[in-house]
Amino acid sequence: MGASLPSKEANLFKLIVKSYETKQYKKGLKAADAILKKFPDHGETLSMKGLTLNCMDRKSEAYELVRQGLKNDLKSHVCWHVYGLLYRSDREYREAIKCYRNALRIDPDNIEILRDLSLLQAQMRDLSGFVETRQQLLTLKPNHRMNWIGFSVAHHLNSNASKAVEILEAYEGTLEEDHPPENERCEHGEMLLYKISLLEECGFLERALEELHKKESKIVDKLVYKEQEVSLLVKLGHLEEGEALYQALLSMNPDNYRYYEGLQKCVGLYLEDGQYSPDQIDRLDSLYKTLVQQYKWSSAVKRIPLDFLQGDKFREAADNYIRPLLTKGVPSLFSDLSSLYNHPGKADILEQLILELERSIRMSGQYPGRMDKEPPSTLMWTLFLLAQHYDRRGQYEVALSKIDEAIEHTPTVIDLYSVKSRILKHAGDLVAAAAFADEARCMDLADRYVNSECVKRMLQADQVALAEKTAVLFTKDGDQHNNLHDMQCMWYELASGESYFRQGDLGRALKKFLAVEKHYADITEDQFDFHSYCLRKMTLCTYVEMLKFQDQLHSHAYFHKAAAGAIRGYIKLHDSPPKSTAEEDDNMSKLLPSQKKKMRQKQRKAEARAKKEAEEKNEESSASGVSKSGKRHIKPVDPDPNGEKLLQVEDPLSEATKYLKLLQKNSPDSLETHLLSFELYTRKQKILLALQAVKQLLRLDAEHPDSHRCLIKFFHKVGSMNASVTDSEKLIWSVLEAERPTISQLHEKSLFEANNSFLEKHKDSLMHRAAFAEILHILDSNRKSEAVKFIEESTNNIVPRNGALGPIREWNLKDCIAVHKLLGTVLADQDAALRWKVRCAEYFPYSTYFEGCHSSASPNSAFNQLRKNSENESPNHSVGGQNVGSITSNGKLEAFKDLTI
Amino acid sequence: MEGSDEGVERVVDSKDLQQQSKAFDKLTDRVEDRQLDSSRVQEAMASIAASSEADWQAMRKREKELAAVKINAADVDIIANELELDKKVAERTLREHKGDAVAAIRHLLR
Repeated sequence: MGASLPSKEANLFKLIVKSYETKQYKKGLKAADAILKKFPDHGETLSMKGLTLNCMDRKSEAYELVRQGLKNDLKSHVCWHVYGLLYRSDREYREAIKCYRNALRIDPDNIEILRDLSLLQAQMRDLSGFVETRQQLLTLKPNHRMNWIGFSVAHHLNSNASKAVEILEAYEGTLEEDHPPENERCEHGEMLLYKISLLEECGFLERALEELHKKESKIVDKLVYKEQEVSLLVKLGHLEEGEALYQALLSMNPDNYRYYEGLQKCVGLYLEDGQYSPDQIDRLDSLYKTLVQQYKWSSAVKRIPLDFLQGDKFREAADNYIRPLLTKGVPSLFSDLSSLYNHPGKADILEQLILELERSIRMSGQYPGRMDKEPPSTLMWTLFLLAQHYDRRGQYEVALSKIDEAIEHTPTVIDLYSVKSRILKHAGDLVAAAAFADEARCMDLADRYVNSECVKRMLQADQVALAEKTAVLFTKDGDQHNNLHDMQCMWYELASGESYFRQGDLGRALKKFLAVEKHYADITEDQFDFHSYCLRKMTLCTYVEMLKFQDQLHSHAYFHKAAAGAIRGYIKLHDSPPKSTAEEDDNMSKLLPSQKKKMRQKQRKAEARAKKEAEEKNEESSASGVSKSGKRHIKPVDPDPNGEKLLQVEDPLSEATKYLKLLQKNSPDSLETHLLSFELYTRKQKILLALQAVKQLLRLDAEHPDSHRCLIKFFHKVGSMNASVTDSEKLIWSVLEAERPTISQLHEKSLFEANNSFLEKHKDSLMHRAAFAEILHILDSNRKSEAVKFIEESTNNIVPRNGALGPIREWNLKDCIAVHKLLGTVLADQDAALRWKVRCAEYFPYSTYFEGCHSSASPNSAFNQLRKNSENESPNHSVGGQNVGSITSNGKLEAFKDLTI
Repeated sequence: MEGSDEGVERVVDSKDLQQQSKAFDKLTDRVEDRQLDSSRVQEAMASIAASSEADWQAMRKREKELAAVKINAADVDIIANELELDKKVAERTLREHKGDAVAAIRHLLR
């Protein structure tokens, strides 16, 4: 210790520490001030005061005081410890660890510091350090339960599960025979389950099963007990016992698909790929016929057979499955069936089946072969199902006619409008899709689900302001759409980011994508408090599961989308930087003096207006901070609400690299990751890293059009590089010479030949043909017209029936849009692009992109019909006043004013 | 002293949010550790043997072998720059491949 305090002040210091630990910060501050009145330079008191202020959101003061305290008393472990805690609260973990180590150098056996260090090591996944620290804690305080548990978990995480078991057994050896007391039964039970899962993980299956049975009376969680037991029985090959136990589990929960899967395994009737032989299918069918008698109310037992049955048996089972659900009016029926569309032949069977049901109900109001009358709604739900069916098969015209008929039948069913919206979206008319989603929303203003669906469609149609206004209907008053950010509403931020990107607003787009990235950073931090909490509560299985989840957190699809969006934004920013101030000044200098003056005045006015708006916004923010209790709740004001500062980044490519590294680590099996990597590293002139990206693309899918593009582009670029001069270039060239022979696509071939060979394998595929043409143009720009002609000669073939799901014609809208953009940009042939557009308008009549005859861009579109109907209902509306923006947030309920049921 | 990321109690204006806030605050509450019977603990401690000695020796030997490898400092710089790696990682990989820069790079491009 440094200067020690008299006993009165020493007691006050203890009070500061206690107040900090129990979160009574104001009391702690008072005590600190009392000490500092007499001892103004006391290092430890200054430090503790700083730490207390840090917990009261006075961070800059906190750092100042803590640093002053440490400076005054460099040999105090308390000061170093406090400094570490301060860094930790700002997530500066490496600095915090340094401070803790300095503190431990002064006081090597300090329990509190060791504990805080172990928390950081767990957070940073420094697992060997974690083991070491937990061992030290156990050695120092072996009579603390938490230290045994902590040491065991540390070994488990450090890949030594058998050691972890030993430690838990030693810990159990310290307990009384009648342990646990009543108030610790859950905790002890959880510990036992953890130990058994460790034994299973080590492969000690017999021992695990024995231990499980022995400790049955002490394990409180009976469901996990049974699940663990059946898992062990199956692994040990005790299939009959396993079968009986799965039956018991099914009686508890007959809708758990994993229990059915486990039961099938026990009777030798489970294949991962679902490719069963006819004999196996018969036996499975018998099994499920038996099960359906036992679990009459379960949906799963009726639905699972549809996955393995084929042909007529499938048709019969599907018929039996679908009929009661149509009668009941289950809107999610199509979602339930949709996975079957990936099975060869089943989509056609379903189509015939549902059409037959439709025909029969129309004619007689009865199902085929039945005498009972169906309620009138059955026809509507059948049409609803058919609409979704044809949507899935890419026959949008038929789908729309079915859904329109259903709407005419019962115009008050919200789901019908939602499905119509989805069909129009797939058909390419995003504006009409948004309009019908809004129609659905207006029919139930209290349902946030339809509100959110509408918001998403509006964002897809690039109606960002309207989407924001609509989303705000469900956010907290006064918070506007900032509330969506506070509540980590990632789907909204991703959809609006993508919309801004499409509209060329890079600042706002980056703002949204980086907001999503921040959510993931926050989620990573959220685990911190649980490193001590879960050891105390003994929820160890869940804790370890959480840690593993956190290790893969950035693999989540939303993070991938946000990172990919950010990388694309930065690449675009790099390729087309915004005009710098210097350039604007240069432009200014060319103006006449009087024009200069005007320009300057205009600039000054604009700046004044912006400043005023910012001030007003700040006032609004602070005003909303005053809550009912009268206390001011100051939220930090966003310094860059529109992402303008993000546009000023000095090196966009290095910013993009940060997110790329996360994608490479967490989404290595995504083609998109390596496409972005290739684009980024070619711009950074990192030849070897671009090569790595090409190798990854070939590993994942060598026949993908984009893999082919990158491969040829890379070697074309390398082939045009100058002879090696520097050591660096020589080394790079040596690596390239060593790597090229390993790429089979280029064996004994020129790049032209490789391109031709690629085409030979894929000459019927539109996207492969487009890739070939693009590469042909890149290799020899004189052959552009040949490349263009080649694309235009492509044929949109009819798909044979009875295949797996496929549209009636091969080409899909997304691919055709991509080809159109290729013709207009890379190949730079506007006439060809126009011809392509006209041609695709025929194939996709609802597409606004191609201005098809049924799209919102055409007078005959569904959307314009909607507008016409709206005008008819409200004759006082001026015709010219109608537009998307005029849709009111309170809906158009007047359209149904005269409705009678 | 267990740290806390929680600041002063935040103002909330709904009962649900109050309950949520209270529940989260409990995560970081100060709680006394459970104590165990001292006499049994001593026996248990004796059974925890140090088995890390052999592992440590094996690691030391490996590190010694790597340290003996001759490498070109310029190669380390080139690899670190071209592959955007930490110099320590570049150096270690080069040592593991006995100073062969091409082999080291090809390994890193895997």
